[in-house]
Amino acid sequence: MNAPALSAHDVKKSYWLGKREIPILKGVNLAVERGEMVALLGASGAGKSTLLHLLGLLDTPTSGEIRFDGQPVHNFKVGARAKLRHQFVGFVFQFYHLIPELTAIQNVLLAAMMQKSVCQYWKERRTTRAAAEQILDEVGLSQRLSHRPAELSGGERQRVAIARALLQNPRVVLADEPTGNLDSETADDVMQMLFRINRERQLAFLLVTHNEDLARKCHRVVRLRDGMVVG
Amino acid sequence: MYRLFLAARYLLSRPINLLGIGGVTLGVWALIVVVSIFSGFLRVVGEHVRSASADVSVWFLPDSARFHDLQTAIDEVPNVAACSPRLVHFGLLNRPGETPPPPPLLGRGAMQGGDTPFVSVLGVDPDLDRKTTALDAWLVAVATELRVKDLQKPLARIDGLPAILLGEERMARSGLRIGDKLALSTGRVERGEGGGRSLVQVTGEAIGGNRQDAPVFVVAGAFHTRHTGYDGNTAFVHIEDLRAMLSLPPDAVQEISVKVEDPADTEATADRVQRAVRRELGFERGQFQRAPLAYSWHERHRGFLEGVEWQRALMKIILIVIMVVAAVLMYATLSMMVAEKTSDIGILCALGGSPRGVMTVFLSCGLSITAIGIVLGTVIGCLSAIYLEEFRQFVLWLAGVDLFPVKVYNLDRVPHELDPLWILQVAGVALLVGAIVSALPAFRAARHDPLVSLRGS
Repeated sequence: MNAPALSAHDVKKSYWLGKREIPILKGVNLAVERGEMVALLGASGAGKSTLLHLLGLLDTPTSGEIRFDGQPVHNFKVGARAKLRHQFVGFVFQFYHLIPELTAIQNVLLAAMMQKSVCQYWKERRTTRAAAEQILDEVGLSQRLSHRPAELSGGERQRVAIARALLQNPRVVLADEPTGNLDSETADDVMQMLFRINRERQLAFLLVTHNEDLARKCHRVVRLRDGMVVG
Repeated sequence: MYRLFLAARYLLSRPINLLGIGGVTLGVWALIVVVSIFSGFLRVVGEHVRSASADVSVWFLPDSARFHDLQTAIDEVPNVAACSPRLVHFGLLNRPGETPPPPPLLGRGAMQGGDTPFVSVLGVDPDLDRKTTALDAWLVAVATELRVKDLQKPLARIDGLPAILLGEERMARSGLRIGDKLALSTGRVERGEGGGRSLVQVTGEAIGGNRQDAPVFVVAGAFHTRHTGYDGNTAFVHIEDLRAMLSLPPDAVQEISVKVEDPADTEATADRVQRAVRRELGFERGQFQRAPLAYSWHERHRGFLEGVEWQRALMKIILIVIMVVAAVLMYATLSMMVAEKTSDIGILCALGGSPRGVMTVFLSCGLSITAIGIVLGTVIGCLSAIYLEEFRQFVLWLAGVDLFPVKVYNLDRVPHELDPLWILQVAGVALLVGAIVSALPAFRAARHDPLVSLRGS
């Protein structure tokens, strides 16, 4: 039997406020299979974003394990975690986090530049650019390649962020309230697009959201309360 | 790849970076231009001093010294080509009948010499002196109307009166012409019968004048070395006239000029001449009190040349302050950039960037600003130094303002000397300073928690 693309095993995370320990996650177990779209529901402060950051190797758990394809990766060194994050995970954030100085296509291409030397990138520049254009076309932005984030609407910015997350063909996309900053119509469009990508590419998605309706459309819903999975 | 790409984008999209580039450019420019002018000035001044000096000068000869005895000893020293005697005296020049002006204030510099009536009167034998100095060249390097009539006998008596040669600038400034008479007010030390010393006024009785008045000389012409201070403060008279005037015995000498055959061996020759003179005068080995000294031209003017060199060193220190200001500017602009870009740090980490990569982005920005500033400063600095004279002429023509009054220093143009080693040192220091001030904000960026950036929005 194949191991889940991404899994958390008894993951705990605490922060320290002076000498006082503040537990955020109290032993979370979670697995996301290939091609599965999982919704992570929870109130503010439940630890959703913290869990997402731990799963994306942006932070390290206080205890417990994070596994990619069944392999423990949580105790890797900083450089190795960065490399793994680049190859394995795509991030989509509520506030897009595009770099304002770059155009839409440059923001997407940035993902391809991260672990490559100048020579490597130069050799592959044509194929990389073609891939970036194709993905931007896939998210409906083929006419907006040269626009900077300030010249794009909220929905368009989020599409650029999604295209950026997809360029490196990640195994898992971690989306932190991707529609939280959009109006309902645009949010629907973006979600339809995410469902389509999930279907077509068989990508695993872990979707943090407050929206019960949206969560119900996912393959599975995981609820987080007070740092624990409750259902 | 992303490090250089982002650094370039940050650099190009923020006009405030021009401030950092401008600061580094200004610092490098100033250090190159000003030091180049000082180096050029030092070289030219060295040449001027050299042009007015004998290769080796023997000083502090005792009263008993006689030139022909010493000449025999000096001529035997290896590398000596010729030597000539000199008497050195001082006095105030004025037109006969006029009251002598007061002596100058202490400390009037040699560079702007010639604006005081006080002169160093050198008694020379032209036939011998032209073999040890560039006397012939000095005599022809003047305006035609100030040139001596007989170049072979420039200090021959005129109408029974002793001749005097003055610096061209002094003559022009005082409105003197050939044939004008000048009185030399001076005194000399006379030993009394009891061994005591007293200062008595020198009169012209011994050289054809009367016993009450100061000796009178006729201006025979002008000379022009390239050393303005020397020209302004020096007057040449015939050594026989000065000996007679000062009641010195025949063949008495106070200073000897020596010409060497191989200039590269001047210092060693000076040592050998000194030993020969001391031996000839009966000074024992190790006896230094009142012993004659032989100096090379460079040693003789060491104080003056080192003074200019110290000014150059001081200027370097002052100009480094500009570099410090540029560094502060750069630090401020880079710190602002890091503060503004903290949100980008989070996403870079999420995309697979490491703290070291983030640091490299900002470090590359700082180093690029420094490198551009260094290249611009060096190019503009070199061009400014080379074309400063043309620029001075242009400003003079346009606004009538002389940025660098070259005549004050007897220069033809603003001097410059570009020293590649100094340019490399300036570039190296600028790069080091740039690296340090870039590293601090870059290091801060690398330590920034990406989660704070990602949550912050």
